[in-house]
Amino acid sequence: MPSSRRNRIILIVIIIVCISMVTFYVRESDTGPLHKMQNFFLDLFSPISNFFSKIFRPVKDGIVNLFHLPSLAKEKRELQKEVASLRRQAGESKELEAEVEEFKRLLHWSEENAQLDTVGADIVGQSPSNWQRLMIVNKGSSSGVKKYMSVVTEEGLAGRIISVGSRSSVVQLITDSRSGMGARDLRNRETGIVEGRNEDTMRFVPMNEEAVMQVGDVMVTSGLGGTSPPGIAIGKVTQVKKRSVGLARLVEVKPFVRFSRLDKVLIIITPEPESVILKEAQ
Amino acid sequence: MSRNRQLFLAGAVLLAFILQIAVMPQLKLFGVQPDLILVVAVVVAVQEGPVEGAIVGFCGGMMMDIVSPQVMGVGAFSETVAAFLAGMLKEFFMTYSILLPVLLVFIVTILELSVNQLTLLMLGQENLPPFNVIGVILPSALYNVLAVLVVYPVMKRFRLTRKEESLRLAKPGGR
Repeated sequence: MPSSRRNRIILIVIIIVCISMVTFYVRESDTGPLHKMQNFFLDLFSPISNFFSKIFRPVKDGIVNLFHLPSLAKEKRELQKEVASLRRQAGESKELEAEVEEFKRLLHWSEENAQLDTVGADIVGQSPSNWQRLMIVNKGSSSGVKKYMSVVTEEGLAGRIISVGSRSSVVQLITDSRSGMGARDLRNRETGIVEGRNEDTMRFVPMNEEAVMQVGDVMVTSGLGGTSPPGIAIGKVTQVKKRSVGLARLVEVKPFVRFSRLDKVLIIITPEPESVILKEAQ
Repeated sequence: MSRNRQLFLAGAVLLAFILQIAVMPQLKLFGVQPDLILVVAVVVAVQEGPVEGAIVGFCGGMMMDIVSPQVMGVGAFSETVAAFLAGMLKEFFMTYSILLPVLLVFIVTILELSVNQLTLLMLGQENLPPFNVIGVILPSALYNVLAVLVVYPVMKRFRLTRKEESLRLAKPGGR
């Protein structure tokens, strides 16, 4: 067979295989053979990924620190300014009272948190794609982990489980652009959705377009939708930008969780995620 | 292509795959990481031809699809198309310097990420990430360029070694 004809056939076969696989994958359910195979290999490769992750962690930290070196001096100056500003603000009793109230609410939440049943997990891998903000943890269905369970750290909400293998699971971080969590502003009790943007900050879309949002407002999970228990800290409003006529304003939320340093997380096992949508899906 | 060359390329894809899942996520800078599979596929496309590059892209992309939580087949498809195009584009350039794979990797990384997103869009996948050229596509292309500066000389060296070996064997009195 001439080489050019053979090459053409090979290329056509490859394209057909790709299209067939995509079609089967999209059409089958989460328990279909291709999804099962994906979960199996995810389980298989997560220990390897974990092993190399531990080896390369110092190298990564070194590189990251090297890049952050020039910004450290600037950051220090900014922090000093912020401290001075905060000291001035401390004199203003009204502001202080509001802040104390915020901390009281957070403290109240942390006391309630003790009733949540959690399972600890190690981060063993990250998404190989630049389009996603996902992490792989070393706990799966054998530890009671289920899809849509919330993943938290001592700093707050980190994400939720989107795929479960027997010994590993995939966590969609709250900064992933496909992530949307029901959220509540602790100050004015307004609810809305915190959406990821594949950036270090997220966007809060309030249900009430007229809601008065302020920089410094603390966002927690609202519990609406049933996938996450209410009252888990998400982040702080860092910017409220008014957009031009007809467009929604940008309420930027910085997550409390520092994802670059994430090493261990807690998966909230009970209460289990529960919502009408989930029930319908089952 | 000789049997030895085929084995070498299979080994190269396997190594790229292992490095991609184990090491590359640790070298993430500004949210992006190099795509070694694509880089190796482009280098093979430059050295061997578009179909060989497409086969390498397909095999590597499929392996990545199997171990990643994403629609299976989309990565393989986009890597195949990108590597094949790199092999075709190579014919337009009359140079064998390292600038050729560097330029091709830059171009096809942009293409690969675009094809990937476009395919997912056509499949009706909901909540796709924004088509971020400045934050994702350009940094990925630049990172891949850095990777090809390492990968290309290594693969070229192996290729020359094979050629030299063949020449040596062809000589009268050669083993």
